[in-house]
Amino acid sequence: MPLKVIEKRDVEPLIRHLMERFQVVGIKKKDGKNTYGVIESPAELRLDSCATITSPKKYFFPQRETLLQFAVDGSWEPQAVVEAQPRIIFGMRPCDIAATWMLDMAFSEVNADANYLEKRKRALIIGVDCKEPCDEYCFCKSMGTLEVETGYDLFFTAADDTYIVRTGTPEGEALLGEWGKAREALYEDRVKLRAVQREKDERFKEALEFDVEELPRFLEDSYRSLLWDVLGEKCLSCGSCNLVCPTCYCFNVLDEVKLNLSEGERYRVWDSCQLEGFAKVATGENFRERRGDRVRHRFFRKGKYMKEMFGRFGCVGCGRCTRACLVHINPIEVYNQLKGGE
Amino acid sequence: MKPKIAVFEFSSCEGCQLMFANLEAEILEVLGAVEIVNFREIMTEKGDDYQIAFVEGAITQESEIERLKKIREQAKVLVALGACAHLGGVNCMKNYQDQEEVRRYVYKERAEWFDTIPARPLSAVVPVDYAVPGCPIDKKELLEVTKSLLLGKKPSLPDYPVCVECKMAENICVFDKGMTCLGPVTRAGCATICPTFGNKCEGCRGLVDNPNVNSHKQVLQEHGLSVQGILNSFRMFEGYLEVAK
Ligand code: SF4
Ligand code: SF4
Ligand code: SF4
Ligand code: SF4
Ligand code: SF4
Repeated sequence: MPLKVIEKRDVEPLIRHLMERFQVVGIKKKDGKNTYGVIESPAELRLDSCATITSPKKYFFPQRETLLQFAVDGSWEPQAVVEAQPRIIFGMRPCDIAATWMLDMAFSEVNADANYLEKRKRALIIGVDCKEPCDEYCFCKSMGTLEVETGYDLFFTAADDTYIVRTGTPEGEALLGEWGKAREALYEDRVKLRAVQREKDERFKEALEFDVEELPRFLEDSYRSLLWDVLGEKCLSCGSCNLVCPTCYCFNVLDEVKLNLSEGERYRVWDSCQLEGFAKVATGENFRERRGDRVRHRFFRKGKYMKEMFGRFGCVGCGRCTRACLVHINPIEVYNQLKGGE
Repeated sequence: MKPKIAVFEFSSCEGCQLMFANLEAEILEVLGAVEIVNFREIMTEKGDDYQIAFVEGAITQESEIERLKKIREQAKVLVALGACAHLGGVNCMKNYQDQEEVRRYVYKERAEWFDTIPARPLSAVVPVDYAVPGCPIDKKELLEVTKSLLLGKKPSLPDYPVCVECKMAENICVFDKGMTCLGPVTRAGCATICPTFGNKCEGCRGLVDNPNVNSHKQVLQEHGLSVQGILNSFRMFEGYLEVAK
């Protein structure tokens, strides 16, 4: 795929141009923190701030989403509801791009989920390279997600007064072609890109004290570890870690009947395996009643089960769960402790 | 036949009833499915043949105990309306003060006319079927509970903490703003209204079924609350629980 170059000063006009045809979403400030939101004017977009509270998954898999409308007495066939619109996520981080790949698998491998896939199909992803770690909580380098080769339509890397742009798909290439202001990269640009990437890599440290490929084995050996009980005593079962995680995709399906009591809608909402009710079944039994078991389940999902299911880890090292956790349960520490045989 | 509904009040500010009164048009006209037979706030005539009783307020006098028991006998379904009825609410703060002093403070020279007993939720006196929690109650939740009752379904409250709603709304956690918050142990359902407007959660909806209170107390301490401060924040709405211990 061709390499392109955009002058930094041309980014605002580019966004304005894209806004004509797409809803443009990107990182904005909210009360001093960062969140993904709809860009109303190009100046709002923060291309170089990271660590958003929740991930951009909410644009493919919203917090609450209607799935179908039904008649309470069954007098008409339930109507499926699928909503999607042309959208560009501008400035998605490498970790979130990796996480989106994981969601794509989750929502298509076993069951093709029309609600997710339709939104995903109509969205373009413009990634942007990180210059330095978000903070002490992210460990993308250890999880192998600091560099992404695929999963984006375009990918921007800042270099001096320009962005060097990798094109990942024909759609991404067409987007630039039709705008017309990106130039072909020259030899010097390629050299510059490599230099920037090298410098960046040096700024990121390995947070895990072992090769991540060993993680599933460490987890397996620790199934009965006391560490899970210790973490279980601390955990508030508040669900925050799941809800902010870019790869968590569990949801609950509920019905809401309208005031006229004759029609209703079926909707889904984000769920969390840390909540007490998550593994409760209709008979009242709870498969993971103990807090420690629930914490263990989350780490096994991230570090073992998803790897076995999809071939990649369910954790992309974004650090959001640690930032959100009031009792400081931090995957970096948990995984390093497991390695120490705890 | 339309189910008949009655609304009663005990010791409370009547705020939750008011929410109910404001809803009345929605319930009657939109649902057209119930008949209200007894509701002092909005009508003068009274009927005693109701099936569903919504009861507001805490129990703070001997005489209220008898009245509540009568309501329980008549009602097929008894729903606690708001934090006072559900938890005892702010009324329970008086349980930590000298009862005689409280009586004189509230009723002044007429203090002799009124008896006062430690405040308690309805459930400390009679079995309560369901609750619409909150101080004040949430209109939407009241409608949900009413709809469920009319459809013959069991109303259910979320059994997860307010933090869940905060994360869905992508709120900045008030702990990050130097405040403390009871959200991690408080039952959600209010659409995290207080943190959404930059305030801490005071726990007006009561605790989740299985709160990790010990760990939460450590969080509060870590963020600067003294032991007394922690006690005080819980006593605002959960005061009755402590008495029960
Ligand atoms: S954020 Fe922390 S306290 Fe809350 S459920 Fe997750 S691990 Fe437990
Ligand atoms: S588990 Fe934590 S660090 Fe890993 S992807 Fe999820 S939120 Fe990010
Ligand atoms: S976790 Fe890594 S890849 Fe993700 S935003 Fe932070 S620095 Fe970038
Ligand atoms: S503000 Fe309160 S309810 Fe919201 S996430 Fe923080 S602790 Fe939880
Ligand atoms: S945020 Fe807390 S105090 Fe505020 S309404 Fe909800 S439960 Fe009550």
